[in-house]
Amino acid sequence: MTTNKKYLVGVFNDEQTLIDAFENALERGVVIEEVYTPYPIHEILHGMKNKTNITTAAFFYGLFAVILLIGGMYYAAVIDWPLHFGGKPFNTFPSFIVVTIVATILTITILTLFTFSVRAKIFPGKNAEVIDIRATDDKFIILLDQDKMGMKIPEVTQLFQTHGASEVYQKETVAN
Amino acid sequence: MYKTDVRGKLIDGEKSLSQISQEILAPIDAKVPKWWYIAMGISLVMLALGVKSIYVTLTQGIGTWGVNSTVAWGWEIINFVWWIAFSIFLLILRQKWRTAINRAAEAMTVVAVFCAALFPLMHMGRPWLFFYIFPYPNTRGPLWVNFNSPLFWDFMAISAYLLISASFWYFGMVPDFATIRDTTKSKIKKAVYGFFAFGWVGSSREWLRYEGLAFVLGGIAAVLVVSVHSIVSTDFAVSIEPGWHTTLFPPYFVVGAIFSGFAMVLTLVTLMKKLYNMGDFITENHVDAVCRILVFVSLIMGTAYITEIFIAWYSGSEYEMYTFFKNRITGEYAMQFWGMFIFNALLPQLFWSRKVRRNLWVVFVISLFINLGMWFERFNIVVTSLSKNYLPASWAEYHPTWVEIGFFVGTLGMFSAGVLLFFRYIPQIAIAEVKMISKFNKQQTTHLKPGHHHDYE
Repeated sequence: MTTNKKYLVGVFNDEQTLIDAFENALERGVVIEEVYTPYPIHEILHGMKNKTNITTAAFFYGLFAVILLIGGMYYAAVIDWPLHFGGKPFNTFPSFIVVTIVATILTITILTLFTFSVRAKIFPGKNAEVIDIRATDDKFIILLDQDKMGMKIPEVTQLFQTHGASEVYQKETVAN
Repeated sequence: MYKTDVRGKLIDGEKSLSQISQEILAPIDAKVPKWWYIAMGISLVMLALGVKSIYVTLTQGIGTWGVNSTVAWGWEIINFVWWIAFSIFLLILRQKWRTAINRAAEAMTVVAVFCAALFPLMHMGRPWLFFYIFPYPNTRGPLWVNFNSPLFWDFMAISAYLLISASFWYFGMVPDFATIRDTTKSKIKKAVYGFFAFGWVGSSREWLRYEGLAFVLGGIAAVLVVSVHSIVSTDFAVSIEPGWHTTLFPPYFVVGAIFSGFAMVLTLVTLMKKLYNMGDFITENHVDAVCRILVFVSLIMGTAYITEIFIAWYSGSEYEMYTFFKNRITGEYAMQFWGMFIFNALLPQLFWSRKVRRNLWVVFVISLFINLGMWFERFNIVVTSLSKNYLPASWAEYHPTWVEIGFFVGTLGMFSAGVLLFFRYIPQIAIAEVKMISKFNKQQTTHLKPGHHHDYE
């Protein structure tokens, strides 16, 4: 099922006017659908109230990897097939640490990248849902859903323009 | 907050954000210059020699190399250690100026690690059975690998390093690929870069997770780089060869990797400045900063060399004494020792002078000499210790054969071909990151509202 979604797009020329308009809109109770910027802006990331647990996830991947690696090496070197290396003990824990560090880092990297890909929906073959093509170049875009923004179009337009929007326009997209 | 009056400007010229994209992307759209084809041709000829050498090694065996039972490690291990040391140490510097050169450093690392990995692979003798080194339940016993062996650690380190540096590099480029997709006029480029951009649009949801990812990868990659080079040093340090068996080795190798990594970055960015007019982004201040790091690291290198010599004398071991005083400082291999010492410890001291740091040609030449000096260092470590150790009856000389030289030349060709492709097809500088720091470019930061003085690190 596809429905047409009506959007209102505010275009800003620089970071400062964007933050200004963004914060004022939030104060006035406007519901902001999404913000598109050429680089990360912490005020926006903070103001959008999205949270990411990617760092926590990475920690648990690491923990999981450490247990698995040390357990695996212990199993191989002590239980499954103990070998004599010049009278060294079978459980040569200190030298397991080396492999554990490197392989843990590898596990964290691969799993965190995978998590990023899934959660941010960035993956090979994805079609970019471009709202305003200039957002990856030099424009800062605030996107509002006309049905949900909680204010009338002229009011929002005026709000954006008083805070330095270079353009405000309406856009319809086919959402699925 | 970045102080421009102290550190100099991050970007020269007052550039708008779209100018930043345009100027960094210019080499991708511009007509490919003639020198590029010539350089690529030379690189491919060198690569062909490498392929021929690998073919000879594969079909006839390690016997075609100059290594013998005394000097069992020759050019292959020298070159392996040399290549692996070109590292992404910029990660450790949480400095705003790194944004101009980190992309080139990451590109260099990926290609260099790939070159490095070929050497131990071919050294295995039967490289098609390389997977035997991977610990997996098998039908050979089941026979597990020796988890205490530095050679196994090395295998783990190289594989992890290759995968991680490649993914680190790639994900840094995703927003820039999206910029190409959205600004190019060519349909082919739009499709190709659009595919590699993975559907990136720059939404706050993407950036939020991207920042999280960068934080995690940056943090662990720094640990990885330190551990990889420590592990490479244990290939030597856990043996009992004179000149190798020393606790100095792990930090010595890590610092050596910082040193050669920055030297190679300097080589690349001076080329980018001269050949691609990236001078506004890679300013004199950037080159200056790298040079100052090199002075400092060079002092550490010098200290390490002198410490080794001192400990050889202080230990009272006649084998250590012999290795250092009769086999390195004087004797057959004196040329390599002094090459190493002069190029790594003395020559970079010229960077104390501001005039030298600001003269791009001198900087370029010194960076090449450092790369050469670091090769001598590896020669010095690998060959001198092995050729004359405890038993005079087993002393032997080592001379590389054309196969070994060809193999090395081949990797040099592969590296330069990789760098040329990088210059032509990939944004040489991280566009999004440069845009992010462009606001710190002004003397005054009053254009930012009070309460918005965030440090973007």
